[in-house]
Amino acid sequence: MAYPESMRPSIAEVERTRPERLRRREFSRLTLEDKEALLRRFHPDYRPEGFRSLRVGANRGQNVPHELADLLEARSLLDPDTFELNAGADHDVDVLVIGAGGAGSSAALTAHEDGARVLITTKLRWGDANTMMAQGGIQAADRPEDSLARHYLDVMGGGGFVNTPGLVRALVTDAPFVVEWLENMGVLFDKHQDGTMMEVHGGGTSIRRMHSSGDYTGMEFMRVVRDEARNRGIPCLEFNAAVELVLDDSGQCAGAVLYDLDTKEFSLVRARCTILASGGMGRLHCQGFPTTNHYGATADGVVIGYRAGVPMLFMDTVQYHPTGVAYPEQLLGQLVTEKVRGLGAHLTHCKGERFIYELETRDAVSAAIIRECSERQNGIATPTGVLGVWLDTPMIDMLRGEGTTRRALPAMVRQFARYEIDITQEPILMYPTQHYQNGGLVINELGETAIPNLFAAGEVSGGVHGRNRLMGNSLLDIFVFGRRAGRRAAERAREVRPGRLTLDHVRTYHRQLDKAGVSNHRAAPMILPDYTPASHRIRRLGGVAVG
Amino acid sequence: MSEEKKTFGYYPGCELRNRVKGLDLSARRACRALGIRLKELKDWTCCGGLVPQVKDNYMGFLAPARILVEAHAQGFDELMTLCTFCFNTLRRAAFFLQGHAEARKRLELFLGVEGLPRVKVIHLLEVLRDHVGLDRLRESVQRPLKGLRVAPYYGCLLLRPAQEIKLDNPEAPTLIEVILEALGCEVTDFSSKTDCCGSYHIVTNGQVAGQCSDLILRSAVKSKADMLVAMCPLCQFNLDWRQKQTRTAPLPVVYFPQLLALALGEPVDTLGVAEPAATALSALGSPT
Amino acid sequence: MARQESLAVVKEPETPAEETARIHIMGKSYVVPAGLTILKAMEYAGYRLVRGVGCRGGFCGACATVYRKAGDFRLYVGLACQTGIADGMYLTQIPFYPAPKPLYDIHRLSAGGETIFRFFPEVARCIQCNTCTKVCPQGLDVMRYIAAAQQGDFKRVAELSFDCIACGLCVSRCPGEIAHYHVGLLARRLYAAHLTPKAIHLRTRLGEIQEGRFSKEVETFCKMDRQSLQRLYAQRAIEPEEEVALPGKSNSDED
Repeated sequence: MAYPESMRPSIAEVERTRPERLRRREFSRLTLEDKEALLRRFHPDYRPEGFRSLRVGANRGQNVPHELADLLEARSLLDPDTFELNAGADHDVDVLVIGAGGAGSSAALTAHEDGARVLITTKLRWGDANTMMAQGGIQAADRPEDSLARHYLDVMGGGGFVNTPGLVRALVTDAPFVVEWLENMGVLFDKHQDGTMMEVHGGGTSIRRMHSSGDYTGMEFMRVVRDEARNRGIPCLEFNAAVELVLDDSGQCAGAVLYDLDTKEFSLVRARCTILASGGMGRLHCQGFPTTNHYGATADGVVIGYRAGVPMLFMDTVQYHPTGVAYPEQLLGQLVTEKVRGLGAHLTHCKGERFIYELETRDAVSAAIIRECSERQNGIATPTGVLGVWLDTPMIDMLRGEGTTRRALPAMVRQFARYEIDITQEPILMYPTQHYQNGGLVINELGETAIPNLFAAGEVSGGVHGRNRLMGNSLLDIFVFGRRAGRRAAERAREVRPGRLTLDHVRTYHRQLDKAGVSNHRAAPMILPDYTPASHRIRRLGGVAVG
Repeated sequence: MSEEKKTFGYYPGCELRNRVKGLDLSARRACRALGIRLKELKDWTCCGGLVPQVKDNYMGFLAPARILVEAHAQGFDELMTLCTFCFNTLRRAAFFLQGHAEARKRLELFLGVEGLPRVKVIHLLEVLRDHVGLDRLRESVQRPLKGLRVAPYYGCLLLRPAQEIKLDNPEAPTLIEVILEALGCEVTDFSSKTDCCGSYHIVTNGQVAGQCSDLILRSAVKSKADMLVAMCPLCQFNLDWRQKQTRTAPLPVVYFPQLLALALGEPVDTLGVAEPAATALSALGSPT
Repeated sequence: MARQESLAVVKEPETPAEETARIHIMGKSYVVPAGLTILKAMEYAGYRLVRGVGCRGGFCGACATVYRKAGDFRLYVGLACQTGIADGMYLTQIPFYPAPKPLYDIHRLSAGGETIFRFFPEVARCIQCNTCTKVCPQGLDVMRYIAAAQQGDFKRVAELSFDCIACGLCVSRCPGEIAHYHVGLLARRLYAAHLTPKAIHLRTRLGEIQEGRFSKEVETFCKMDRQSLQRLYAQRAIEPEEEVALPGKSNSDED
């Protein structure tokens, strides 16, 4: 699977320009005006045909991607008229956490620490989440030269200055506490021998603030946090998808209905407080883009939260990671961490020249790559017709010493070596890939939503990152707001008096769909994507279209 | 005997990494004092604990065979070790493999190597006897252990089975004695010096283990020894444990390399000697 | 060069079946396009996976797969999402394998080999068969990190085991019935929590935050209008990159 002959001449161009690029590494940054113009012309968020106006719910009349609109304009998997809620619950807890990634696990740990009876539920396994895949790092302003205000400014600038200020304040203030919490639990951070954190830049940072654990940062966090939660005896129902929230007669959230993917049965959890920590929507493949995301990233939490009445924010913006793999085909869309550019690798077009400062924010770099591959016709084509630009990885060892790539990016070296590409010797081909749901359900600084006793944390929520998240702020976000939601939920659970359970909100939503003239038979949440061929799907027993 | 610096491959064994660091530490210091370089095998693995009793179960020979392969790959044809269990396991496995073509063939296939190498497994005692020599050892002593009466305890596995180990006469050994005398000790003779301390029974039948240990301790005390010298972490543990359990007046138990290093002039507090032996040995004073 | 007309690349591709391969999934034969990963080949064959699939990017360890090739006695392993198919391949996934995890309070443990034996006495049953190492899809030297754990050398365990994705293939093949990845996790946590120096600058910063040193400035920023923020952002100083080699893992500087 080494590079085919057709791509070799362009690789030679990259090699030809490399010595000069190594000598002169400065490249002008975009002004805010240039960036705005670049985004308007080339970022997928600005393509009107990718979006449509919602016909139901709190955000009626606002644009969201078609793929998400399809799920929001769909019916429940339950029949609210026949599903029995008040004949006894299968589980009765103080705090139900939906989702077992970084946000869910930290919420559960915190709530449990504060004395709550906690239950986690997840549709796959504990830790099957985008957290596990986060390679680059976590931001925290903990160097003497850095400050919370500086972090604040970087976050706002990255997000287009529309982020919710209180959420950003919470994010940057809690950041050093989160890093300390992880370090104390036994996370292996990249450190100097005296214990000082090694910190590098990420796209859009004004100062080196990125902490990491090799290029398995999220995996290292996730496995330690999960181990800690298991040690505390917190129960987790795996392969149990939350398919609907349950409210009570006073409009408070009172639990959820789960669907067991193994035994194919529904069950009911009564909970004084419920935390949605179910992640984002990468697997919806907005505008047909491939994705870096986990198999389970199907926006389930957004769907059931919105149906229960929680408004959304910034759902018309999707983060495309600029460096998704374009070749080999088997790795299409998979992530190449921003750390590669942080370590000094250049992006070049087919003739080996740079076209953007590599550490611009992700939206800008993605737009620039799309510009090279479309208007400027500077893309490199793979045998299957995918276009991309080069990421000049051999530069890393040349800049930082032989062996750096192998030490700092072992996962990536391994990933490409499986297809006979040695990233220390050859550049790799990149094209933007759907990476992150910038927006989500509206929350406040405590992680509370508009529905009493319903919380949200992590990628399912919106506002923290404005219209574009910076690298290293999502691993941060999940723990900051996971812990905040967990703490507040445990506190709140002591006061809550749940009433009679209902699915009236589902009935109401269905009526709204009817009224808006949405006539389809789609049901949501999607739970898992379906990658079987269409020809197979139509012949499947009971093949109901989900999503 | 040659004075040139000799390098031996060194296999410490797991116990020496955890519970009995003093055995490892003192042997390293003693060897350094004698101009012997020990190069620890890189990323070594457990020796397997004991050599399989059933000789057609080749799986049990994998652990020692792999260590021999590793030692050879790292450039050693002699591998020194200290712990009696490791020594016994490795030496017997090497002996067995040399005599059994079928076992060798199967293990070679499983390990994916061409030919199991001939690596000689040796004990520190042999290094002293055969490489250093008693004369040079005597000359190297900086702090003669004068007036110290020591009971030399071999235990059961250091010498047996004699036809496989070939270290010394298992019923009437003299190897430790002559070396201790070279260090200036007074060596006592006691009847249980090659008896088993009962460690095999410690988990399943503590009483049997206790009886074995009592016999050894009584015999050593009767010989008017000031302390007992042990070779094996399990013996040392067992004898100490038994004395604590029965609350008898303690007979200090030290490891052989600790006395060796001390005589060679190494400070007692660097040798990982536990109480009550540490106090007793401190009284010996500074090197001459 | 080439021009991309639409922005989109493709959805998970249904590769045109110019070249095909015959594979055997749990004994049943399917013809699928050549060049797919095992995971995509199973999906192409019609499997809608619930277990045996996860991140699809080689990080989560959900899709451990064992296979044999035509005419070859060896047992091969791989992650279904990362391994390409080959004609004549016989495969099955091992989506779950029992591996008991002991419960502990990491802060109350001593950071020595005795802790490993306390929770995992079975590591003493390792016979150095090296099957764990041979079966690791990450190419880790599993046998040697178990040996290092046994010796209480947790720094070495951390170095050798850091890339473990806990797929469980080692556990499935171990004649000593060891749960390797749990041993590795405990040793790494002990090493990080007890044996590596803590970041002092981090604690200093926590003290400063608690004293309220930054609250006023952050508060001012929170209330600031968009234009002023944009101006500050455009003017902010950018720290240059540090020009030093970066080791990938914690404290592995010297090796």
